[in-house]
Parts: sequence; C-alpha cells; structure tokens
Amino acid sequence: MTVTDGTADISKETLQAWKDGSVKVFEEVVRSAMRRAYAVAVGIVGNAEDARDLSQEAFMAAHRARATFDVERPFFPWFYRILRNRCLNFLRKRAGRREVSIDVLIEKPGRSESPDKGVMRKERAEALWQAIQELTPVHREIVILRSFQELSYREIAETLGISEGTVMSRLYYARKSLYGKLKDVCDDLYREGDDEP
Amino acid sequence: MRYLDGEMSAAERTAFEAHLASCGECRQSMNELGRVERLTGMMKIRDPQDDFWENYWKKLFRRLERKTAWLFIIAGAALIVLYALWKGVTDFGEITFVKVVAVIFAAGFVILLISVVRERVHRYRTDRYRDIER
Repeated sequence: MTVTDGTADISKETLQAWKDGSVKVFEEVVRSAMRRAYAVAVGIVGNAEDARDLSQEAFMAAHRARATFDVERPFFPWFYRILRNRCLNFLRKRAGRREVSIDVLIEKPGRSESPDKGVMRKERAEALWQAIQELTPVHREIVILRSFQELSYREIAETLGISEGTVMSRLYYARKSLYGKLKDVCDDLYREGDDEP
Repeated sequence: MRYLDGEMSAAERTAFEAHLASCGECRQSMNELGRVERLTGMMKIRDPQDDFWENYWKKLFRRLERKTAWLFIIAGAALIVLYALWKGVTDFGEITFVKVVAVIFAAGFVILLISVVRERVHRYRTDRYRDIER
C-alpha cells in the first residue's frame, strides 16, 4: 500500500486539542488519517463510493466519541474499531447485494510495460480483487492490513485487539483460500517469472 | 506465515529453511502461500485523484454541520410538542385550529419516536456485531 496517512505524526497536543473540541484540529486529524481510513474501508466493503461515505461517517462518529479517546494511545487503532464496525454493519445490511468496484487494485509502478502485458496485469489485478472480495470480512480485513497497509503482525494485533498467533492463523487461512481461488493466476505468474522486476 | 512476511530473525529463518529442505509438505505449502504473497505484493490500492481528497474534508464538514443542524431542529420540535401538550393539558379551553394542528403534530411526532425506538431495539437484539467495540 503506497498511500500513507502520517497518523504517527499527530502529536499528543494536537489530539488533546481535538478532544477539547477544536474543529480546526479535527480537520488536521482527518487529513492525516483519511487516506488510510479510505484504503481500509475500500478493502472491507469493496467499492470506492461506499468506502468514502463510511470512512467519513466513522470520522464523524469518532468526533462525537472523542471524550472516550485516550491521548496517550495511538489514534488509528482506536479509530479503526469505529471504522470497522461501520463497515461490518454496512455489509450486514447489504448482505447479498453488495457492489464491488473492479478497478480498485493496480500493479505497483516500476515494471516494464508492453501492451499485452498491460492487459494481462489489469486482468490479474481484477482477479485478485474479486478473490479478496469473496473472502469472509475477517479474512479480507487481515489481507488488507498485512498486504496493502503493510502493517507488522504486532501492529495488526494491536489494531484488532487480538494475539499475534491469531493474526498468523487468520492470514494463513486467508492466503490458503486466495490460493484456492487464484491457483491458475498464481501458478502462471510463477511460471512466467513475471513477478521479477 | 512469519517466514513469508519477514517476521523471523536470521537464526529462525536459517532453522526454518533447513526444515523446508527436508519436509515436502511444508515446502509445498510455502510455495503456494508464497505465490499468493508474491501476487498481492505486486499490487496496491489505487489512490483516488487529488480532487477526491480536496473534497473529502469539505463534504465531511458539511455532513457534520447538517447532522448538528438536524439535531437542533429535532430538539426544538420536541420542545414545541412538549410545550403544546403541557398547555393542552393545563389550559385546554375551547378547541381552536391552532390546538388541532398542535395535537396532529404531537401525534405524528410521538408515533415517529415510538417507531424509531422500536426499530433501534429490534436492531440491537438481532445485531450479530453488537459485541464489537465501537
């Protein structure tokens, strides 16, 4: 995941000022965390428009609940629980009629590009996205946090409030499931050696 | 998993690689999972264009503002209804057009309130995710 949010840069003083009710500082907090919030939300719910709305609602809910936030602790794990809850509630209400965008994933830049390979890469990105969206929300979330947010096991464990052992277990089953859905794509990629820069 | 995700120390990696060399089942499993990791590692989530982020805060602020405005409107309406009911009970007098309108408005408000509360209670009782910390 290349988008960064810089939430680590939000100082305690800033968070305290937000907690005290400053809307100006709230804007600063939102701008620091919005890219990451959106990226996580789009990973869980599958489409850009809903991800934007849900991440905004989560910020509004966080603003209302700011009195319960402990400024001694990092912002994003606390906020993430609000965001996750919104996304899961949304999925529950939309069960069976969820809209999934197809062009959310792209290949990272820096690879030589021929027109044929460009089409193949687009298809590969779409196939991966589709497969991720077919995972259970819990498995989808762990893949997003690890593979696209590039969080360490410890960070994921802290964010989700689970043990590192559970992180590994969920990742194992999520990847196993992805391999089952994408065996041909993964094996073709391996045979072509196309993953090498 | 820790091997694939670079979460092992150098010593752990060496020991695990020695194990992989002698265990076909683990090697096969690592190959499969490694291919998935390689595929996901090639991708990133598309970052929306600049105007998306420019409007993000503006739209959020508007929503926050409107939500606050609605809360004030509802609170004001609730106070008017309560006042009308109180006046109706304590000083009923003759039936006037204004009183009839107030009673209709109050009835609508009370029905709406009951409906919302009932829906919330029902949703809470059937919510599979209610134990998730907000």
